[in-house]
Amino acid sequence: MMDLAIRDVRQDLGRFILTAAGLGMLMSVVLAMTGIYNGMVVDATVLPDVYGGDLWVVQKDTQGPFAESSRVPSLLVDRIRAVPGVERTRAYATLNVQNQMPDGETLRFTLAGLSWPDDLGNSLPLEQGRALRQPHYEMVVDHALGLPLGATLEMGRDTYTVVGITSGMVSSGGDPLVFVSVSDTLRIQNDLANEALRLEREARVSRVRRSPYGRDPANLARAGAQGTLPATAPPPVTAVLVDLAPGQNVETVKASLSQWSDISVYTIEEERDLLVRGVIDRARRQIGLFRILLVVISAIVMGLIVYTMTVDKMLSLSLLKLLGAKRRVILRLILEESLLLGLFAYLVALLIGEVAFDLFPRRVLVEDMDRVALLGVIAGISVASGLVGLRKALSANPNEVLAS
Amino acid sequence: MNERLGKIVLHVEGLSKVYGEGPTRLEALKPTTFDAVAGEVVAILGPSGSGKSTLLTIIGLINPPTTGSLMINGDDVIKNGQEVVNLTTVRRQQLGYVFQRSNLIPFLNGEENVRLALEIDGVPARESRDRARALLDSLGMGGRMKAMPSKLSGGEQQRVAIARAMIHQPSIVLADEPTAALDSSRGRQVMELFRDSAHANGAAVLVVTHDHRTLDLVDRVLEMEDGVLAEKGHTANTRQ
Repeated sequence: MMDLAIRDVRQDLGRFILTAAGLGMLMSVVLAMTGIYNGMVVDATVLPDVYGGDLWVVQKDTQGPFAESSRVPSLLVDRIRAVPGVERTRAYATLNVQNQMPDGETLRFTLAGLSWPDDLGNSLPLEQGRALRQPHYEMVVDHALGLPLGATLEMGRDTYTVVGITSGMVSSGGDPLVFVSVSDTLRIQNDLANEALRLEREARVSRVRRSPYGRDPANLARAGAQGTLPATAPPPVTAVLVDLAPGQNVETVKASLSQWSDISVYTIEEERDLLVRGVIDRARRQIGLFRILLVVISAIVMGLIVYTMTVDKMLSLSLLKLLGAKRRVILRLILEESLLLGLFAYLVALLIGEVAFDLFPRRVLVEDMDRVALLGVIAGISVASGLVGLRKALSANPNEVLAS
Repeated sequence: MNERLGKIVLHVEGLSKVYGEGPTRLEALKPTTFDAVAGEVVAILGPSGSGKSTLLTIIGLINPPTTGSLMINGDDVIKNGQEVVNLTTVRRQQLGYVFQRSNLIPFLNGEENVRLALEIDGVPARESRDRARALLDSLGMGGRMKAMPSKLSGGEQQRVAIARAMIHQPSIVLADEPTAALDSSRGRQVMELFRDSAHANGAAVLVVTHDHRTLDLVDRVLEMEDGVLAEKGHTANTRQ
């Protein structure tokens, strides 16, 4: 039996291709949503994946540093290093920066501190250039920021030079990451204008004058001798990363550190979980629901298209019935056309994905399983749409041929 | 010579069709009895609304009758108003149709339209192609069989439609106003094709027509008025 569906498609190929392209564009949005969903999960865990560390120590009763703000004293780095089982500790500091360039362009990025000299950024996925070699004024940026090697950026009172370029390094909010040393991060974070510094200095003098030490210099001498003078602490860091010595049990060290009353301790897996289930949870669910909505809309649109295609050839279907065509001839015609439409739409969606997804500002991560799943969804929609068309097709009345 | 010629292929007895009930009751076809033999072309004349098309759709197994029986090649198809066999199969194997507008399937070319009538009955593609080409060739369509219907003239479309109606060698060919859309010359050509094909294939051809210009090409004329079918007699073409 000749293939009626192919012949019907061939007769008005332009219309078929345009229809399939339209559907394909709709399906490409479904695919893009899947990719954005996956990309969001991957982006969210970039920082813990890059920094590593067996344990993350943050401010007491917070879920920092990604879920909420956290501030711990930088001296904690040394305190924790003394704990049995700990091999290495690193300070971690981060802040969001929005920088106005001389040409008026706004650069938005997340600054992440590398714990110089323990961590120079050698584990970063460098595309060009190198890791940090100096403790100050060098930075490694993600290519999404658009700065070339050797470019400079004013941050705080200093100028930083791009020495390395990474790929795919973004924060959970999608901003490109810029790596500098922790000390530079803190310097940028705590930078104050001259007037603010002058006012702060005067305020300190005023506070000291009102204190027991200011009122009576003898108190100051006595406090100095007893070691009770208030310390001027270095600025706090966001978190402390802990690497354990080989063979050490993570839970044991975590339990030991958790007894300290000024900190909370998480394993790296718990940090990832906090990110995925906490920080990006709403966005993740929103995209998931939007994706479901798109699939439903696609199904309705495709159902209507197949129905319209069926209505357009009701006279031919009536004629087929008049000539004594079996039901399976009509079933094959409608279902095959619907599946062909779905297949073309799928190929268009894949093509759009290949061409356009790299141009998206955020990561769109489409994996093979997603492509297979989309094919399955489209096949399901095609069959359902075909059944809608088939119902109409089977109502074709041979009498229509005589009435035409 | 076809061995079926002269045999009764269609026997209609007491066929009637009533639409509606009570005050809206309309007897479109009063009890009708007649036969048609293989190889003859029978014209059914009558004014619009006289019941010609109703009779044709009942014989074409498209419309069920209210009462009566219908036999094709001596086999019961409808008995006392009830179908006794699978009508789709009978339509596929025993009947051929030609209409006022050729009603070719627009996405199939001429050859494919003809092949379709064979292939829906399970004839292999190669055989159906060979038979379709041979028949179209014999109807003078050898050079146009690959053209799509939209590229064919009215007369060419009707020739393809006749080929499709004849290709599976049906016992009965039903034609509803097949020359209405054609000019006089092409109308005669089409009726000549019916006559020749009916004779070559041993089919009875029933032609509903208003076209008196071509009656000299039919074997017998029946006239329908107000649902009543009456024999108007044989023409000079009647084959003995």
